[in-house]
Amino acid sequence: MNRLLRQPGNARFAGVFALACLLLVLTGCASTPTLSPEAARVLPQRTLIDDVPFHAQRDYQCGPASLAMALGASGVSVDVDTLIPQVFLPGRKGSVQPEMLATIRRHGRIPFPLEGGFEALLAELDANHPVVVMQNLSLPVWPVWHYAVAIGYDRPAEELILHSGTTAKRRVTFDRFDATWARSERWGFIALAPGELPASGDADSAIRAITDFESAQGAQAALPAWNALAERYPDSAMTHFALGNARHATGDTNGAIAAFRAATRADTELAPAWLNLGLLLKGRDDIEPARHAFEQAAMLPGPWQSRAREELASLEQDRRAYREL
Amino acid sequence: MKRLSRLLIPLLIATLVVGSLPAVAAAPNSDLVGTAAVLDASTIQQDRERIRDVLARDDVQRQLQLQGVDADEVEARVAALSDAEVSEMADRLDQMPAGAGIVGALFAVFVILLVTDILGLTDVYPFTR
Repeated sequence: MNRLLRQPGNARFAGVFALACLLLVLTGCASTPTLSPEAARVLPQRTLIDDVPFHAQRDYQCGPASLAMALGASGVSVDVDTLIPQVFLPGRKGSVQPEMLATIRRHGRIPFPLEGGFEALLAELDANHPVVVMQNLSLPVWPVWHYAVAIGYDRPAEELILHSGTTAKRRVTFDRFDATWARSERWGFIALAPGELPASGDADSAIRAITDFESAQGAQAALPAWNALAERYPDSAMTHFALGNARHATGDTNGAIAAFRAATRADTELAPAWLNLGLLLKGRDDIEPARHAFEQAAMLPGPWQSRAREELASLEQDRRAYREL
Repeated sequence: MKRLSRLLIPLLIATLVVGSLPAVAAAPNSDLVGTAAVLDASTIQQDRERIRDVLARDDVQRQLQLQGVDADEVEARVAALSDAEVSEMADRLDQMPAGAGIVGALFAVFVILLVTDILGLTDVYPFTR
């Protein structure tokens, strides 16, 4: 090797070699992503989600195409031409991440951002959830941003399977995929019908995703998602609180009261749950239980303390007025 | 005519003021505390944030229109964004990566990307495999 490099005829080879080394340093080394021992044991060797429809991208439309595939897999059949005016930015010749999520919401599905990197990606695929991923196929200095839909993997071959660009079921090695995916900080999401939940992630990230969906589509649409989440995380006070609000918004007062009670049992210091519980109890003239709930809320410092004190004072006023009668 | 209106206007003002009184007296209201309000409360000042959010939504609508989005689509697109997404877009839409998946002006750096493709660092030219 040394002798070869010393020969002048090999200057070109040495140049390319030096360039390659430089690029390795610039881009960080590409190494095969590793799984934790637990995930390596649990995840099957290979999986492929067969029923993800393929939409080939035209021009700059990998965003709309990926959305059409993800929505199609979750049971909403939309074609790319409908999605283009909803997500594509002509001035940028592309689609940006927040609008990808927003478009999923417009079609009645909940976008859950993927958290947990490569391992979470494989876990979702194993759970039959196709994952829309954002990659930078090129180098950070000359980015080529791209959306694709991961639909399966093959662990023995160390390959990920994606519907990408104009190619269906394209196989890319784990390390090449991870190198391109890492440049978007491993951004991705899954689109699920309300009532279905991701296989990865925690209660807090799911609460955020469902709340954002509820803001866009209303409580009625989000209700199945809250029910499913409360079932999965019975100890999450915020989940019961959110369920209570959704039930109240759809006119189910008794159900809402039950949910707020569950929230206060899961976390006795969740002041807004006590406050909402008190308001609903007062609304149906359960004055003593309402007073108890307001008292709990009034004891907890925070943005709802003053409101709770006002409610207590107004109950007191009503009582005095009633006595004077 | 002028006299009539001079007479009518104070009357009108008086009725409107009186008419609005019961609504004022009916406080405290019975609106429940919303889920989003609680999620945001830990990080931000709510009222100020709400004003900022309204401004940000207008701002993003304008930006989308400048980027060539149809006027009748703009509102629905912004409505589907969460508050956090709106403020992120208002702040840095220009720098956001826009997924397009097209190798356009990259031929200038063709050789370098060819090498990185072969090394498995990039995925620009499918024919390298």
